[in-house]
Amino acid sequence: MNDINEIVLYDLVKDIIKEGDFVGSIITKCKDDQKSVIFSNKVSISKDNGLFFEKGLNIGFEILNHKSSAFSRRLRNFSINDLSTIEYCIKIPSDIMLLYDEGQFSDAFPFTINLLHTSGLYLNDYKFGINHLDFVHGEILKNPISLIHNGIILADRVVIDDHGDPVFYDCLIVGRDEKEELKVSYEPLTNVDDKVVEYIIILGIEELKI
Amino acid sequence: MLLYENKKAELINILKIGVNPFKKFVSTGEIKEDLGLVTSRKSIIKRIITIIKEEKNFILPIIGDVGIGKTHLFWALKNTLYYYNTIYISLDIVFKKFFYNTYSEFIDAIGVEPLRYIINHLCDEWGALEKIYGFFHVADIEKVKKIGFQKLESKFEENEKDALIDVINGIATHQLDPFKKIEAEGWLLGELMNIRELSRLKLRYDLRKGKAAYVMLKLLIENSKLGTVLFIDDFEKIISMINPKDEDAEEVFDPSWLYGQSQNPEEISSQKLLQKIIKLQSINGLRLIITLKFDQSLEEIKNRFQELSKDKIIKFIEPIYIENFIEDDIFDFYLSNMKHFLENIGLTKLAKEDFGYFPLNEQILRTIYSRSNGNPREIIKILIKIFNEIIFSNDDLNTILEEYES
Repeated sequence: MNDINEIVLYDLVKDIIKEGDFVGSIITKCKDDQKSVIFSNKVSISKDNGLFFEKGLNIGFEILNHKSSAFSRRLRNFSINDLSTIEYCIKIPSDIMLLYDEGQFSDAFPFTINLLHTSGLYLNDYKFGINHLDFVHGEILKNPISLIHNGIILADRVVIDDHGDPVFYDCLIVGRDEKEELKVSYEPLTNVDDKVVEYIIILGIEELKI
Repeated sequence: MLLYENKKAELINILKIGVNPFKKFVSTGEIKEDLGLVTSRKSIIKRIITIIKEEKNFILPIIGDVGIGKTHLFWALKNTLYYYNTIYISLDIVFKKFFYNTYSEFIDAIGVEPLRYIINHLCDEWGALEKIYGFFHVADIEKVKKIGFQKLESKFEENEKDALIDVINGIATHQLDPFKKIEAEGWLLGELMNIRELSRLKLRYDLRKGKAAYVMLKLLIENSKLGTVLFIDDFEKIISMINPKDEDAEEVFDPSWLYGQSQNPEEISSQKLLQKIIKLQSINGLRLIITLKFDQSLEEIKNRFQELSKDKIIKFIEPIYIENFIEDDIFDFYLSNMKHFLENIGLTKLAKEDFGYFPLNEQILRTIYSRSNGNPREIIKILIKIFNEIIFSNDDLNTILEEYES
């Protein structure tokens, strides 16, 4: 994992806040019931006004008709004034993004499944849990996003292996180390035990249309 | 003393298995050669490397007699130029379908990974890595193709635009359409394709037809992080094609019956070939090395180039001449070849031993030098003969050597 303290824009745990306008690949993890994550390419941060996103994509789980359901919403001129509802906001270093970008073209798997609409593949919840891992066993799913305790995995594709565990390919991993420092890394392949996974959302390509 | 003698006996025993340390007296572009140059020629390679580093888009003639080591020089260059794609071109192979065959040789030399790397970066420049929300790729293949064409069209002539569209299609499909990636890679590697395969890729022709191979060559050479050196061996063949044949020779078919008196078909095709070489030479950053046997051929080639290039200026560098070995070279060559031979068969310990010139001696090497007038090919031929006798004759070593000492 790379030390990215210099690119942590906001961290509630370590009480870091960098004011200003930031452009790049930015991930914001919210501290809310929806366990939501915001992806954006531009964010403005100030102590007084909180975070402002010109454009962004918000994903997470919500309860609809007594059932949990994954969502992804486009954000336009969206503000979060209460900074205590945000756990962290980090900008991925450009060298790691370069690795991630190169990995996007390296796959030789033509039979990758793209979902049209965002849906929840897995949610670890006592009451409203979801588990479709068996259903897609052996398939290659495009654009998975996973929350693992405090960490986030954004991958190009995911496959469920023989043990029923997800294997993420070409992934960006954001997480905290034992000292609660935020770290980010790129991994071509990551095996994760489904027991530690909070959720896996498969992003629908409809959300990615310009 | 005993151990020393045993090493010599060991060497003779190895030779008696039937392996001749001197096997090849003709160097080719296909079979790799690791043996370096002799001392007197090291300055030549330094000069060539300096020219390659300092100049671009030139033709460098290398002139030397038959068997002097022009092709071997290619291998010495290739083994030295780490930051260049050094490609051997034989006119015999590329004479027909020049650009396609040159492209095939180029791909063969650089390999598939650099090809993927270059086209990946090209696609990146055309907007293939456009991201939404800072992370998600939303490459629109048609948009990428359009940007690619806009960026490249000014670099190509009007009659090359169709080929350019095909090439951009092939590259964008390879990079952005996982369902057609494998077929598109086949097309980029120069595989011949039928209409069905081509229509699936939305391409008109494979690289064999039209100017697509030239467009690909230009894109790869100009976008490669390494420089490119094309080594065209035996360039005089182009003159022998242009010049009329011996008039005394019996003609079963006189081409002038069909094509008129002014130009025979060979002359036309050789002119076309020269025009293609002029075209190739205009690729930014390409360095051309040609080998010739005679000085006068260079003047003729220059004149031909001048006639055909019209307004374009072809930069000819002053030729480099390769001379016969000087006497010291034969000792240098013999020792390094023996060492290389022993290392190649896995006898690295024996290769480190100092055998002097064993199983030959200084006198024999001097005699070989004077008999061959220092021509490397002739030297190797004689060495092969001697070693064959050592290997296969039942006579003792001294008797065999006596014959060659005078």
